[in-house]
Amino acid sequence: MAVNRARRAGARGLTGAGPFTYAVLVLVAVLSLFPLYWTLVGASTSGSRIAQTPPPLLPGGSLWHNLDIAWNQVHMGRALLNSVVVAGCVTASTVLFATLAGFAFAKLPFRGRNLLLSLVVATMTVPAQLSVIPLYQIMAQLHWTDRLQSVILPNLVAAFGVFFMRQFLSEALPIDLVEAARMDGANSLRILWSVVLPIARPGMAVLGMLVFVQSWNDFFWPMIALSQSNPTVQVALAGLGGGSYDSDQAVILTGSLLGTAPLLLVFALLGRQVVGGITAGAVKN
Amino acid sequence: MRSPGTTHGGGAATTLPTRDARKARDAGHARKARRPLPIAATAALCALLVAGCDSAGSTTTAAPGGKITLTVGDYGTFGYKEAGLFDAYMREHPDITIVEHSVEQEADYYPALQTHLASGSGLDDIQAVEVGRIAQVVKKQAAKFVDLGKADGVDRSAFLPWKSQQATTADGHTIGLGTDIGPMAICYRKDLFQQAGLPTDREQVAKLWQGDWAKFVETGKQYQAKAPAGTFFTDSAGGLFNAVVSSSTTQYDSSSGQLDYKNSPTVKTAWDLSTGAIQAGISAGLKQFDTPWFQALANSRFATVACPSWMTAIVADKSGSANKGKWDIAAPPAAGNWGGSFLTVPKAGKHQKEAEALAAWLTAPAQQAKVFTTVGNLPSNLKALGQPEVQNAKLDFFGDTPTGRIYAATAQSIQPTVIGEWDGLVKDTLTNGALLSIEQHQSDPAKAWSNAVKEIDDKVSD
Amino acid sequence: MLDEAVPATAPGPPRPAPPPPSPWRTRLYRWDLKASPYLYVAPFFVCFLAFGLFPLIYTGWVSLHSVDLQTPDRMQWRGFDNYTRLFHDDLFRNALRNTVTIGVLSTVPQLLMALGLAHLLNYRLRGRGFFRIAMLAPYATSIAAATLVFTLLFGRDYGMINWLLGHLGLGHVDWEGGTWSSRIAVSTIVTWRWTGYNALIYLAAMQAVPHHLYEAAALDGANRWQQFRHVTVPSIRPTILFTIVVSSIGATQLFGEPLLFGGGATGHSGGSAHQYQTLGLYLYDQGWYAFHLGRAAAVAWTMLLILLAIGALNLALVRIRRARNGG
Repeated sequence: MAVNRARRAGARGLTGAGPFTYAVLVLVAVLSLFPLYWTLVGASTSGSRIAQTPPPLLPGGSLWHNLDIAWNQVHMGRALLNSVVVAGCVTASTVLFATLAGFAFAKLPFRGRNLLLSLVVATMTVPAQLSVIPLYQIMAQLHWTDRLQSVILPNLVAAFGVFFMRQFLSEALPIDLVEAARMDGANSLRILWSVVLPIARPGMAVLGMLVFVQSWNDFFWPMIALSQSNPTVQVALAGLGGGSYDSDQAVILTGSLLGTAPLLLVFALLGRQVVGGITAGAVKN
Repeated sequence: MRSPGTTHGGGAATTLPTRDARKARDAGHARKARRPLPIAATAALCALLVAGCDSAGSTTTAAPGGKITLTVGDYGTFGYKEAGLFDAYMREHPDITIVEHSVEQEADYYPALQTHLASGSGLDDIQAVEVGRIAQVVKKQAAKFVDLGKADGVDRSAFLPWKSQQATTADGHTIGLGTDIGPMAICYRKDLFQQAGLPTDREQVAKLWQGDWAKFVETGKQYQAKAPAGTFFTDSAGGLFNAVVSSSTTQYDSSSGQLDYKNSPTVKTAWDLSTGAIQAGISAGLKQFDTPWFQALANSRFATVACPSWMTAIVADKSGSANKGKWDIAAPPAAGNWGGSFLTVPKAGKHQKEAEALAAWLTAPAQQAKVFTTVGNLPSNLKALGQPEVQNAKLDFFGDTPTGRIYAATAQSIQPTVIGEWDGLVKDTLTNGALLSIEQHQSDPAKAWSNAVKEIDDKVSD
Repeated sequence: MLDEAVPATAPGPPRPAPPPPSPWRTRLYRWDLKASPYLYVAPFFVCFLAFGLFPLIYTGWVSLHSVDLQTPDRMQWRGFDNYTRLFHDDLFRNALRNTVTIGVLSTVPQLLMALGLAHLLNYRLRGRGFFRIAMLAPYATSIAAATLVFTLLFGRDYGMINWLLGHLGLGHVDWEGGTWSSRIAVSTIVTWRWTGYNALIYLAAMQAVPHHLYEAAALDGANRWQQFRHVTVPSIRPTILFTIVVSSIGATQLFGEPLLFGGGATGHSGGSAHQYQTLGLYLYDQGWYAFHLGRAAAVAWTMLLILLAIGALNLALVRIRRARNGG
């Protein structure tokens, strides 16, 4: 198991980290987390308090009050469930199809490969705003507006996912592994299952997490395709904090906290499997 | 770009594969037996989720048996739910269920509404439209809406005439019923006025600038001469500009409804007054409703703001309890309207008759008065405006200020004016663009004006 | 630019296969060899055809017309007017410049920092999981939430950043109003959200680098920096290329952050003097604010063509360089 041992050794880090490394990482962690912490501070005060100088640095006592408003003003429970379903479907299919296509683009010779790959990358460059009108017309004809299909189906695949897996596999998967397996008479499916997928797993995990988060935070299209009666989290958040012509920033911050918390929870719970799991390389044998 | 293997040519790539490949392949076989779990789990999860999608999707379209579900699409706070009006209506009509689809920002709501109108689907039975958009909808999309002027239970004469007119086409097709309006007064800080040596009583304050916006700017100069440190007389030149234009009978358009802002004497006056205010240093240079503007309210940075009835809630909320009792409201130099909305019934809706009835009921006097006392949206219905609970209303934050009487009086003296489809765009470009760029970048006013004109002309052309 | 990565992965001359057991299996094997790549890429292209290509072509068609967003069924043929118009529009040129400026300001530091962070995270660390989650947390935050917090922090008179600068005696900055300060502020939001994301991608790639390469380098007396420079970076080049391409495309389409930084309802103008109006905002301004769908479509296609031109130019340069180096 030389490959695996090598990978694992590489993964475990070359050497231990020194104090400088820790100092930099702590600083970056603080900078990364501070705006989030401050969201919590804002969510637990009132809209006027957070705007005052000096700014509040400690949470106030209104968190439960604001949570109550944020939860009841919109269909937050349903929104969370919908977002899990949408982001889950989108992630599962994107990762699966991206891995298949990425493998083909990275390691299998076929006619038109470069052209098709360029096409994949080119599709990433189309601004999302422009697809909205024709896409909505399609959905309206299928009577799918306000249904979750309308936000899942257009996102079943992602060019960026294909490109990601292609780049990941082109460096992580030695071509000789594939050829050796083929020499042994393994067919494509078997090669995919036994050689490609185990090596692709760290990349798939990262891609899955990125796609999940991206889908969770997607706003522009769901806002047009769905309504407040069957919303995703981001759509529901758009219904929050209404004052007649004005917005209550404390409630909005509370809402965004509600929307972000599940993701952070997933990171924390699955951290070892997803975030940390990358380090384990393919397998532990 | 090369892969690691070829970069380190001889060493790694050529010696490794055969040995490692075989081992990895062995590992692969072993793995296949031992670790099918993650992939199988992924597949199962996907299947499960797709099944979940279906069920989640279909439950929403299933209406409760035999009942009619009316949907109401709006933004911000229309106050119907808060005032218990939907519940009351459903009690009176047991066969009707009302669902409100509310989006907080009108800027998010309107593009979605346009997409839905364009495709003729996804529309709610009742759709709210803001006054800044109504002229455009009236001009371009009137055919897509039911004529509410003829609907049962609608008393057109009960509404302020100019309000109904805004939602009516040239051939008399009324697509929207008025909800609220935004008569404008001046909110001012008593404490800051006192420190600057100005009167604080609202009658006396109103006299300072009665009948002429130029006097308002002059008062600002007096204030600024003795202003408490770090404060400004008014929040923004754009706010002043909008107030001056809004309180005039001719605004951005000619009497026939053609965009004519370049020749409008009102626009010229408002522009000169606003640029003069900037030069005199009486504006805090903020962009209204932007975060720094909220922060300025919380930190008492400006002494006046042009204040439609709905603005009182924002002033109260953003100033915070620390500033309670320090604000008062005075009559403006001239009465004008800023804001307000309409309820429309798109023809693409499934239950037009029921929707018409609901829209008529929601905008009737009793309901408008109820909304006002609950969330403070001032009625557009004359009968509602005359009701004692509207007239006698006060706001806790503003102490003993008779807010109801001040705004109801202003509402009555608003003069009808022509509003055109591009008014909002012209106003935004002149206030948040040109005037703000003079405040922020010290742009030359003439240059700022010509840039704005160029931008507007480009956008209003086909 | 893609082509550059291809040769290394292209297979060498086909190796002799082991003697086949039967003609039937050979045929099956051949078919499998030929067809499977197409089967693998098929799902992507089928979905793309259904939900990607039609909107793209439709948009191209729309860009040749004058179309009002409110009445999209009424189209007036305009030929290439919507494109030629762009050449004479100062605001389009301004948006193009801003997009490049903000793109460079956000992408370059972001990717360099991400690379450095990934390298640090690749050490044996205590609290590894915590650091990774902390750095990914900004990415989990929605653009709306992140921008709202940052506009509070970047407030002109009472924002926390100016408050801190004031304490340090550095005076205060009109972040949103200023020309460069607003671009820096927008870039900061982008950098904050995406640095950890890219670091994680780099980290995943770094962990696939075979350890013996480092051992060999260490034997040659390479220090940590040299190992990073000569082993890590060359080894994860495809991934670096990926992040550069994706970030550049993201920067070209930059939309949500400047829109919300400018205050939601009026954010499409990108500041009072359009000082941070990006192409994405310009497109939105034309299409969803002024309702000129045809013009917006032309902007989108122009963006696409610019990116494709940059790609082609890159490709040509690579080819020329390779030809000079003697293939």
